Amino acid sequence: MIQLKNFTFNYGKTETPALNRVNINIQAGDFVLVCGGTGSGKSTLLKAIVGLAPHFTGGTVAGQRFLADNDVTNAMPHETAEQIGYVNQQPEGSFVAETVMEELAFTLEQLGVPVPEMLQRIEKAIIATGLNDLRDRRLTELSGGQQQRVAIAAALSAGQKVLVLDEPTSALDPEAAHELLEFIHNLCRREQLTAIVAEHRIERLIDLVDQVLVVSNDGTVAQGKPAEQLARFTFVPPLIKLGQMQGWDPLALSIAEAREMISTPVHFRKIVYPHVQPQNIQLTKLSVKYGDLIALDDIDFGAASGEVVAIMGENGSGKTSLLWKLRNEIANTAMVPQQAADLLFLNSLSQEFADSDEVAGVAQNRTATLFEEFVGRIDGSSHPRDLSSGQQLALVLAIQLAKNSQTVLLDEPTRGLDYSAKQQVAEAIRQLATKGKTVVFASHDVEFVALTADRVVQLHKGKVLSDLPVSQALSHKGKLPTQVSQIFEIDGLIALEQLVLDA
Amino acid sequence: MRSQRVISLIAIALAGVASVLMFAWPLFIATTNQNENLLAQTVFIALMPILVVLTLVEFSTGEIGSRQLAVLGVLTAVNAVVRLVGAGTAGIETAFFLIIIGGYIFRSAFGFILGSTSILVSALLGAGVGPWLPFQMMAAGIVGLGAGALPMLKRTLPKVILLIVFAIVASYIYGSLMTLWNWPFLAGSDTTLSYLAGAPLHENLSRFINYEIVTGGLLWDTGRAITTSILIALTAPALLATLNRAANRAGFKKLSN
Amino acid sequence: MRSLANRIHPGTWWLVGGTLALVAGSSSNLIAPIAICLLAVILILSFRENATWARSLSFYLALAGIVILIRVIFRILFSYSNPDSAIAILLPRLQINFGFGAFEFLGSVSWQSMYGALIDGARLAAIILAVATATTLANPRKLLKSAPGALYEIATSVSVAINLAPQLIESFNRVRRARQLRGKSKRTSRLAGIVIPVLEDTLDRSLLLAASMDARGFGRRGMQSPVQLLTARLLGLCAIVLTLIGIFLLLSGFSAYLTLAAITIGIIFGALSMRLTSLRLIRTNLTTQARSSIDYAIMILLLVLLIANFVGWLR
Repeated sequence: MIQLKNFTFNYGKTETPALNRVNINIQAGDFVLVCGGTGSGKSTLLKAIVGLAPHFTGGTVAGQRFLADNDVTNAMPHETAEQIGYVNQQPEGSFVAETVMEELAFTLEQLGVPVPEMLQRIEKAIIATGLNDLRDRRLTELSGGQQQRVAIAAALSAGQKVLVLDEPTSALDPEAAHELLEFIHNLCRREQLTAIVAEHRIERLIDLVDQVLVVSNDGTVAQGKPAEQLARFTFVPPLIKLGQMQGWDPLALSIAEAREMISTPVHFRKIVYPHVQPQNIQLTKLSVKYGDLIALDDIDFGAASGEVVAIMGENGSGKTSLLWKLRNEIANTAMVPQQAADLLFLNSLSQEFADSDEVAGVAQNRTATLFEEFVGRIDGSSHPRDLSSGQQLALVLAIQLAKNSQTVLLDEPTRGLDYSAKQQVAEAIRQLATKGKTVVFASHDVEFVALTADRVVQLHKGKVLSDLPVSQALSHKGKLPTQVSQIFEIDGLIALEQLVLDA
Repeated sequence: MRSQRVISLIAIALAGVASVLMFAWPLFIATTNQNENLLAQTVFIALMPILVVLTLVEFSTGEIGSRQLAVLGVLTAVNAVVRLVGAGTAGIETAFFLIIIGGYIFRSAFGFILGSTSILVSALLGAGVGPWLPFQMMAAGIVGLGAGALPMLKRTLPKVILLIVFAIVASYIYGSLMTLWNWPFLAGSDTTLSYLAGAPLHENLSRFINYEIVTGGLLWDTGRAITTSILIALTAPALLATLNRAANRAGFKKLSN
Repeated sequence: MRSLANRIHPGTWWLVGGTLALVAGSSSNLIAPIAICLLAVILILSFRENATWARSLSFYLALAGIVILIRVIFRILFSYSNPDSAIAILLPRLQINFGFGAFEFLGSVSWQSMYGALIDGARLAAIILAVATATTLANPRKLLKSAPGALYEIATSVSVAINLAPQLIESFNRVRRARQLRGKSKRTSRLAGIVIPVLEDTLDRSLLLAASMDARGFGRRGMQSPVQLLTARLLGLCAIVLTLIGIFLLLSGFSAYLTLAAITIGIIFGALSMRLTSLRLIRTNLTTQARSSIDYAIMILLLVLLIANFVGWLR
């Protein structure tokens, strides 16, 4: 269905191509996962498949692209719009219309499909995607999962046979994500749709896909069956990593499979929760209201020096409100907001460094040194907006830490990061804790929390639901189990790092 | 393709001159019959929207792909919001700095469209639609058009100075265009400050300037010139870089040569 | 009533507004403007929807009132001296010179001249309310959708902007709040520190939007030769120039026939040019509202009104 032959793509900024002599061949009806580290060219590969690269990115192309055996190497995306569709990370940002129905009609209108046929096709797509009750709703009123469905329905109604999705679950909670991916899987089976999905959280769909494309940092792409490809892949979730460590062949791709593979007894290090340090933060009766909405309802919050506290809870439970409240109540805090790039407004990395040093009143290069500790050296003339999201986060973190604050607050610090980048952030946070700082961060990501936090505060509708040491909060008995706790079902074992392997 | 480009340039120049002239009729009017005069004014109000549409079509023909459209949409939205934020305070005009900087980076045709759509969207979002709207759209379009015709300089500081000088001139030009349009309507035709049909140009010009002074128009224009200059001084260095990056990514370079 | 309003094409509301404005503008007595003001208020009150695009009636009413007031005050302050008619106010006549030629003001003001100003003001007020009828009752989104093909790109851009504006206000607030986390910078202004992140963010998103629109077929064109395109542009340009000449002829009272000819040919050229440019689009449209019999009935009424107005029945 889709074929790239000796396909090379270069943005033109650097010597090394983003995609290097790529040869892939995807069959009709396949569900394909594209994975790779942050900044590896995953998105570029998707864009190249659709034809958005080079037309919407600039850069040069060598090699060929085929769509259903036709050479479409030079076609603009709108020339292939009957066959191949593209859904980007934030569907709400790519909607053109106001209501669901109008949005579904957009592609068909552009293709010049006559109205009666248009209505028929939309009807079919609505039934296939279960959007019947939502047809006249405004797009902005829909949940993230529903918005993704609308985007997919739009592609289906246009008759697109190939659907390319860039991180479709990044804004969804685990349940909605699972539902959506199941749904795409079914479409592939039922409607012979070819779906190509890029995803960081491999565990969400690894047991559903037929093929995996691994994009390496040098721009090469390997294609193969899930188990064989992932056995060599570095940026993997604990589930896969466990299999890699144990040398399982074939790799276990689901919790259930892994349970059957593990051998008992298991040796592991217990996580000891230290109670003794002096309290750094001690606040009572914290409340936040927005109009009638109570975001934070009279809660108490404390944390010790050298302690890392994770705040968890569903969207709208008050995590962000609590962080901002702490920021306003406590003197000498550093905070990294959810959209870290909001704090970047200068034209080059070196300007940002210099400005940060001046504002913090510290020695020159302090910010730069901190930044390099996180992500290594990067050309000072680069534009901050051209950095990857992980690098941007590191930059903002460095700027905030240059002020040498006693308390560090982070709102969702792992958005859009791959497993190795998450590991780096986790290490940075642990380092801060060993230096005696208090770190409080909000996160959805249980695996990241397991690596990082001493204690987990779970919020629900502005109230504290639970406040437990991390090993209890993320155990297999609770509501937020990690993959490791689900596999082993042993009290106190939540992360791979705890395992002591028999030599 | 070449003839297209030449036509394009001529069209831009001609449409620019035409749109300025549209406002200037009271200075040249010769009618004496009261009723004819009235009818003429009304027809003029009715024709203005048509002229705006024609000019917009002229400027957009073949020039707007999806990327340019997206950038236009964003800048228009920012402009409209910024304009609504600043509205209500006398003489403070917050939309102009972006029209000027945007017009400068993306050149004349885009500048014209950006100017008019910004005014249109802010009107739809709450500034109110009235008979004045086509005139405002046209005048703001002219400002964007002018900014797009400024020479491209290499260094940032001269660029910013150039833009500030243009902003001051444009503020007064916009002001006088808007006064020109409301002059016959608010002052009527038979006061000592109204246009005098059939009178020589200098006589009408003198009456017009006096009307500007009496109605405080010059004060507003000065306010507009000051706020726009300050906003340009504060934001232009950063904005120029940002929009240039956007222009590169949105494939504008091909278009503006 | 509201469901009826929904069935009326937004373009029809603009025809109603335009016709009323035209009738109001060409009247020379108080009755027509007052009638039109009343009609506009009644139409707005009975058909308006509860929506954000429509600025409230009170805004337009206030504006209309202010316009009448300005017109009358202007006449009182700057009237010509007119010793023949009955004097209403007697003030000393003064002269002033700002350096651009002297002018007189104050002095005696006659009843007749004040009445004239009132009519003029009422006429303007009626035009404003007539336009307000159209803007309050015609949903701009619907109108944008039925925009002619030649305007399609700009109409899309405008609807993108309308959709984007509320998100932008949110981003502004978010960035402003985030901005305080980083101390005061010496390298850039506070304003730039807020505008730049918002703009960068929105531009990034807009290019994503552009990409996804293109992948959905936006920008497809039918075949159109360069000659056609060139003809369309030339026709458009001629239309602008001709209409402009028409306006000047009209206002200079030179020749009624020549005026009419210039404006008519201009409009025909414009329509042709739009038609030609629209040809390149192959789009279909799901939501275009067809004009119904109600629309045609209204149009006939308007035509009668216009004819009556110009034949002189209303005077």
